[in-house]
Formats: sequence, C-alpha cells, structure tokens
Amino acid sequence: MQKDLENKFLLDFEANQNIVHKICSMYTTNKNAHDDLFQEITIQVWKNYLKFRGDSKFSTWMYRVALNTAISLYRKSTRKVKTQDFSAIAYKIESTPYEDTEEIKLKALYAAIHRLNDIEKALIFLYLEDKPYKEISETLGITNVNARVKMNRAKEKLKNILNP
Amino acid sequence: MDLLDNYKKAWKNQPEQASKRSTIEIYKLAHSRSASIVKWIFIIGILEFVILNSLYFFIDMDEAYAEYEKLGLMNFIFYSQIVAYIILFYFLVIFYLNYKRISTTDSTNNLMKKIIKTRKTVRNYVLFNLGYMLLVMVVATNASIQTNLEDLNNKKILFIVFASLIATLLILGILCLFYQLLYGFLLKKLNTNYKELAKLDTNS
Repeated sequence: MQKDLENKFLLDFEANQNIVHKICSMYTTNKNAHDDLFQEITIQVWKNYLKFRGDSKFSTWMYRVALNTAISLYRKSTRKVKTQDFSAIAYKIESTPYEDTEEIKLKALYAAIHRLNDIEKALIFLYLEDKPYKEISETLGITNVNARVKMNRAKEKLKNILNP
Repeated sequence: MDLLDNYKKAWKNQPEQASKRSTIEIYKLAHSRSASIVKWIFIIGILEFVILNSLYFFIDMDEAYAEYEKLGLMNFIFYSQIVAYIILFYFLVIFYLNYKRISTTDSTNNLMKKIIKTRKTVRNYVLFNLGYMLLVMVVATNASIQTNLEDLNNKKILFIVFASLIATLLILGILCLFYQLLYGFLLKKLNTNYKELAKLDTNS
C-alpha cells in the first residue's frame, strides 16, 4: 500500500516538477537556494501526499503546497536583487531551440519578479499560469475581491519594473 | 496587447529546467530532513517548556523549601505549584494541538495564522511563567519583610524592594532580547508576509 502510494507520488511529482522549478526560480536567486527550496517542497508534498484525494488535479494541489512552502516555511533569506541580475538566473534556462527575444524576455521577467515581495510573487505566478481568480483566492485564503485588487497592484508594479 | 501578455508568452514557452530530477533523486529528496520553520518552532517550543521546568533542578529546592517554611509560605507554594502544573499541562496540550493543525495544504492565509498561533502558545506560557515567578517573588519579599519587621528599618525595606525590582527588570530584559533575536530571526519573513496578505487593499 505504502509502496504503491510512494510510486504514484514519485511519478506525479516527476511529471509536474517543472511547476516546482519555476516557483524555486521565482523565490530564489542562486543555485544553492534553488536546490534547498526544491528539497523542502519535495518533502512537504510527500508529507502531505496522503491528504491528496484526487478530487482536484495533482498540479493544482501541488501549486498550493509549493507556494505555501516558499512563502511560509522556507527560512533562508530571499534577499532581493537590487539590480537586474540576469546572470543569476541564466543557469536555469537552457539555450537550445528557443527564440532569442523570448529568452531575453524571460530573463527580464524573472529578474523583475525577483524584485517583488513574496505575496506579489505568488500572485504573479498564478497569473502567469492562467489560474482563475476563484483558485487564486482559495489558494491564498483571501476574498475574491481582495485577490483582484492585489493582483492589479502586483501587475502594475511588475509592469513598472519591466518598463520604467 | 498588454505588456504583460507579451511576457506571459515567453513564460509559457519557457523550456524545461535544465536540472530536471529523476524519480530516484525525488525519492531521496522526499525522505531527507525538513528544515522548515514549523519544525524549528516545534523544537524550540519543546525546549522552552523543558528548560523552564528544569530550572528547579538547578536550584537547591531543599534549601528553598526550608526558606519558605521559615517564612510560613509552604501552603502557598504547594497549592500554587499544583495550579502551575495543571496550567503547564494545558499549555502543552494546546501547543501540540495547534502544531498538529499546521498543514501546507491549507490556504496560505490560514497556514500563516496557524504557525503564528502555535508560536504564541509558547510565548503565552513563558509570560505565565514569568507572572508566576513574579508572584512568588512578591509574596516571598513581602513575607520576609513581615517576619523580620522588627530588625528592619525603612531604609532596609526600601533596599529589599528596590533590589527585587531591579532583578525582575533584568530577567525580563534579557528574556525580551532573547525572544527578539530568536523569533525575530525565525519569523521575520513570515510576519511580513502575513501582514502583506492580511492587509486589505481598499483604496484603489
């Protein structure tokens, strides 16, 4: 029973690990911190996997655990980068078949995200992943209206950083 | 098209991360030791309960009891200690229940609330303990003044009261500093995030 559950977890997690990597890239700025946070999220997802009932999608459920770990459980300081430190995230992106301009945009986006606070990061992440407001407000535990207002603020701030 | 939509497209097309983990690596990670603040709050909380209650082992209780006996405080000490232990038990249960309720599958807001609540249980217990120590100190000082009334002049009484006051303030000061450092270090980020999330954005 335990073995079956564990195998299922490993397959689910492996298939969806990109979500976790994206969150780690948003909340950390160096490889060590990235790996640290990745490890803690893996632990938390496994610890809570029994509670995952399968009535929602695994990825949806994992968003919540991963974001919660990044926002509330992870202690290492996420010092904000003061300048747009492109090199800090360069290692994270493969440079294979990928449009140059898009790659530059992505790097700029990550650099801008690093300058947001933890809550704004979560909001922007959920926006970029096209999550509906209902899910955003449920994940963060705030009202729908408040989620919308906070989201608009976070988007405004991000736009200002991207295009000052 | 909105400026962000442009970047969203780049986000969507972002390639898989270079450092993809295999199932074996994920297995190893999942079974490694957590370093989350919740775990630290639990460990430190338990340590606080243990340390506060083991202070009695370092004080020579026979001597202290003999002193209380002389002051006629045995009954007070006996009954107040029973009450103190009942309250300790109550705090331990609440602490454990609050800790158990912490779940990363909760909403972010609830999760943060529960972490803060768990840590407040310990803080309240420490406050209760300080209150109790203060009470014993006041009662003992008072009793010692009463029993030795004929040997004491006003100056001496004032000195005893003053000395106890300084000692109390000193202990409180050290404790406050210790708390600021310990929990400030552990919970600064959490508190900031909690305030940020709880803040209602109404003026937009």
